[in-house]
Amino acid sequence: MYPAAFDYKRPATVDEAVALLVRHGDDAKLLAGGHSLIPAMKLRLAQPKVVVDIGRITNLSYIRDTGGTIAIGAMTTHHEIDASKVLHDRSPLLPETARHIGDTQVRNKGTIGGSLAHADPAADYPAAILALDAEIDLVGPRGRRTVKAGAFFIDLLQTAIAPDEILTEIRVPATARTTAYVKTEQKASGFALAGAAVVIGADGVRVGITGVAAKAYRATGVEQALAGQRTPTAEAIARAAAHAADGVQPLGDIHASPAFRAHLAQVNTRRAIERALSRA
Amino acid sequence: MADTIGTPYVGRAMKRVEDPRLIKGLATYVDDIRLPGLLHAVILRSPHAHARIGRVDVSAARAIPGVVAVLTGADVNAACGLVPCAAAIPDLKAPKHTVLAGDRVYFVGHAVAVAVATDPYIARDAIDAIDVDYDPLPAVTNPEEAVKSGTPLTHPDLGSNIAYTHVVAGGSDIDEAFRRADRVVKHRLCHQRLTPMPIEPRGVVASYDPGEGTLTLWTATQIPHLLRTLLPGMIGVPENKLRVVAPEVGGGFGAKLNVYPEEALCAHLAMRLNAPVKWIESRRENAASTIHGRDQIGEYEVAVKKDGAILGIRTRTVADLGSYLQLLTPAIPTLTGLVLTGCYRIPAVKMEIVGVYTNKMATDAYRGAGRPEATYLIERLMDVVARELGIDRVDLRLKHFPAPAEFPFATSCGLTYDSGNYQGALTKARQLANWDQLLKDRAAARAAGRLSGIGISTYVEICAMGPSKAMPAGGWEWGCVRMEISAKVTVITGVSPHGQGQETTFAQFVADRLGVLMEDIVVLHGDTNVAHYGRDTYGSRGTAVGGSAIVMCIDKIVAKAKTLAAHLFETTADHVVFEKGTFRAPGVTNREIGWPELAGEAYVAKNLPAGLEPGLEASSFYEPQNFTFPFGTHIVAVEVDRDTGHVAITKYVAVDDCGPQINPLIVEGQVQGGIAHSIGQVLFEQTIYDENGQLLTGELMDYALPRAADIPEYILGSTVTPSPVNPLGIKGVGEAGTIGATPAIANAVLDALQPLGVTHLDLPMTPERVWQAIKTRTAAPVGA
Amino acid sequence: MCEMKLTLTSVVPADRARVFAALIDADVLRRCIPGCETFTAKGPDTYEAALKIGVAGLKGTYSGKAAIRDKQPPDSLTLGFEGKGGPGFVRGSAAITLSADGDSTRIVCDADVQVGGLIAAVGSRLVEAAARKLADDFFRQLSSELSTQQQ
Repeated sequence: MYPAAFDYKRPATVDEAVALLVRHGDDAKLLAGGHSLIPAMKLRLAQPKVVVDIGRITNLSYIRDTGGTIAIGAMTTHHEIDASKVLHDRSPLLPETARHIGDTQVRNKGTIGGSLAHADPAADYPAAILALDAEIDLVGPRGRRTVKAGAFFIDLLQTAIAPDEILTEIRVPATARTTAYVKTEQKASGFALAGAAVVIGADGVRVGITGVAAKAYRATGVEQALAGQRTPTAEAIARAAAHAADGVQPLGDIHASPAFRAHLAQVNTRRAIERALSRA
Repeated sequence: MADTIGTPYVGRAMKRVEDPRLIKGLATYVDDIRLPGLLHAVILRSPHAHARIGRVDVSAARAIPGVVAVLTGADVNAACGLVPCAAAIPDLKAPKHTVLAGDRVYFVGHAVAVAVATDPYIARDAIDAIDVDYDPLPAVTNPEEAVKSGTPLTHPDLGSNIAYTHVVAGGSDIDEAFRRADRVVKHRLCHQRLTPMPIEPRGVVASYDPGEGTLTLWTATQIPHLLRTLLPGMIGVPENKLRVVAPEVGGGFGAKLNVYPEEALCAHLAMRLNAPVKWIESRRENAASTIHGRDQIGEYEVAVKKDGAILGIRTRTVADLGSYLQLLTPAIPTLTGLVLTGCYRIPAVKMEIVGVYTNKMATDAYRGAGRPEATYLIERLMDVVARELGIDRVDLRLKHFPAPAEFPFATSCGLTYDSGNYQGALTKARQLANWDQLLKDRAAARAAGRLSGIGISTYVEICAMGPSKAMPAGGWEWGCVRMEISAKVTVITGVSPHGQGQETTFAQFVADRLGVLMEDIVVLHGDTNVAHYGRDTYGSRGTAVGGSAIVMCIDKIVAKAKTLAAHLFETTADHVVFEKGTFRAPGVTNREIGWPELAGEAYVAKNLPAGLEPGLEASSFYEPQNFTFPFGTHIVAVEVDRDTGHVAITKYVAVDDCGPQINPLIVEGQVQGGIAHSIGQVLFEQTIYDENGQLLTGELMDYALPRAADIPEYILGSTVTPSPVNPLGIKGVGEAGTIGATPAIANAVLDALQPLGVTHLDLPMTPERVWQAIKTRTAAPVGA
Repeated sequence: MCEMKLTLTSVVPADRARVFAALIDADVLRRCIPGCETFTAKGPDTYEAALKIGVAGLKGTYSGKAAIRDKQPPDSLTLGFEGKGGPGFVRGSAAITLSADGDSTRIVCDADVQVGGLIAAVGSRLVEAAARKLADDFFRQLSSELSTQQQ
């Protein structure tokens, strides 16, 4: 309930924030929407010595249509993503996913950058980010670099972001309407026991799965099984979806055994593919 | 309807007068109380379920600037007495329950030390700086294993894990019933452990006035008066120098019907440190160190004849009490035995209860306390018997209902049900549910391969607690009504509402009976300096018992007012008529006297009849002659997702009979909330300790409370069968929802799975459990 | 869920004798245990340690003891450990067996880990994954330590 003492810094620019990260190293922690960090600090599971609040940095909150892709500032809230006409029209998977996150209060404060950087294994966005094959911009003392979604999630709560880098922008491609996110909620927290995000396009099917393993992953077995099939039969979809948890070590806890998580991954993958196709 | 004198308030769905201050954030909860020089206490709690405490080093904690005191059990226990248990069970073995742990900890969350500092952050830092050496001991976590000899002991000094073995039995000879049976139906049923989880956790502010020698304790409690009775024996402050205040209380559900170590501890700290001390429970502490509910496991046997006639029920039930006895811990399972026959004529019953200590938090009264347990058991058993005998489950229930004319109805457990019309509630519920259509819809859904089910439960429960001879410390209630000199009305009640809305309902019937406007009435409660006596709020007693005391006061005031009016009319009281707030003496005078004039005369007191005391105030103790027994029928339709095990409630109908309704809106709210508790209990809520006694549901991230989206549209109806045992005819409704709903929902889920041959699922019927049950009985195609 | 039985397998590029020696070398252990700040011998095969462990920003400080027993060089040993800190406690044991795998050594670690207090109450969903990650980090570091020695 009462966090340990910490220093509070509120940089005005990304460069200032990066400088603070460089100066304080492992002692510093970035505060975005605060919906993972602050509860952890209140429980004293996290005790950063310096909290760097990037909430006042201007120009980190936007959704821009840049032609083939839509660029989203890291500090864009879940609600802003859900409410974005540009995304609804051009890349509707992300708004559909945002709607599944937490509750209204969480969606009003939580940010896409914060969620991705925290990389909770049961967060919703990672499934969509993987299925969209998004690009993520990181800014550090060595400048800006871009990481593909597939290389972004490294392990439990661990991403490609270096300790002195800040996630600044996410770029998702414009897609067809044939996308969907289907999730089974952990009843208490609302996080995903298994969430499947699907993008179906001319180049095939991409499936991102969250909640099932220590990190979100691409269900490549499902993708390969559907390769080349523009209108797969229900049986083909079910057969393909059965590969949704291939090669991963499913998590088990009081809310779902590993077997149930794997099963839900299959069911939700099948349903997400069916739903995406129904939107054609 | 306009608010004019004489237009009845009772029976109207009035919005609650409490709500504006709650909605606007203007209410004062314990944590809102700020006093000059206030210190803050934070408690260090055991991470072990069972351990010997070795060295405790508090030196680093005491050295932190701002820390005022860091104290352990050795420092405070002698001055704080023992946490009381008020339940009288013969041959009860009870551990000494000190406010902080002594040389051992017995559950995760057990209070080990307290740090007091000038702000809560510093106190919290101090807790982190305390170094405790624990020597872990085997934890007792499975109550059924714990009763076997040779198993580790929760309390080695008690020599056994069995706190008591108690038999609740009645009616005809149980063995004879089973000898005469054509068949014995057996079934094992469990109630999982639940966390009451009021939205406001507990909290205490204690302030000592050394000049007066008085102690004031603000605490988030349901029972300020019982605390004022019980705390003096713990902390040594005499009852008449102790003021207990329950300010705004954000829900209790039984969890705040208790005397907790922190209440005595904060009182002691305030006296010891000569400064006010505040302790506010965190959510995690609330999950670990505030009582839990239910946790009963029973093997049930029903003796039946071929035609479905039930001759008797017997059971041995193991109740997991946790590690300590809180106020009513051992009594709760015995309440289950009392009402185990439900609303049925069942000639013989015997329930053997084994209360078992385990290394967990204590269980105690949780919404419905004992009766939801019983209702779930009997209503599941009715379905099991009906299925095994191939009898319609509704017919089986009807066959065992007493007829309305048979009330008062004596049960084999020794209760006398006050009034009832169980057939009436069942009929109305079936009408509201469109029962025949429901059956057709289910048949169509099943034909289409869907898992569709209908559940029903008919229940009766015990409310209006209760006659003093049946209660541990008096079941009466006190009240006071004062017609002020300004003709405003002050009502003071000894019950302690914390969400039940009695500031509204009491004002409604007081307004009607006195002939005043509701807006001229204020209802006070929850402060022992204001409401001198009371037995507080639990067991659906507030209005039936507390309201009855108020009715007695009104009658006294009106009688006195008539005497005064007669004097002013220069006649005798038997000529005075009182109606709609006006006194008249037809045939004597045309003069009318209203309350403003009469109250003025009563207090100015220049013209009182000889022997009449000034003032217009009356107080009363009301002693209930019996409990009341609300009843009803709940009908639920569900659909189960074959692939995910998810249960969707597609229809919910409840018909509850709580007697006459003062405020249907509040009745509906109580029923809705109660059903929500049951949706949680049946479908997802559970308090989980692992086999080492670690609490795994320590936050709302892991303990699944029902949310708005889990609640279906309710179709609520009622029948009205007044109770003959109190002047309002009221039965009570605070717990009815959760008593009727749990078995109805469970029966619906099992009905949905019946075509697959599933006959039982443990609570909660989580998606994974449902999926497992489906999976073991069907060969699902991969990925389906 | 807060009592875990984990079986972890790793192959490290050194023969069994060297791996075994590394596993009972306080300096090597200090360098390989994730977040290990101190690792001091307190007696034959008993150690005291201070660790700052966790995953990502969720780190806690623990002080603890470790003891090595049932040493069967170069085949097996058992490591017992217990630690306590702000977030709760960790205790358990790991039975480690070494077998030759070409020029390398296959390490099989059967660990029995019990976690209590705050981490059990609020972090149970992450505990097992975190434990696996920490163990993986340890073996990765051990591998790199042994291959460096080799060079």
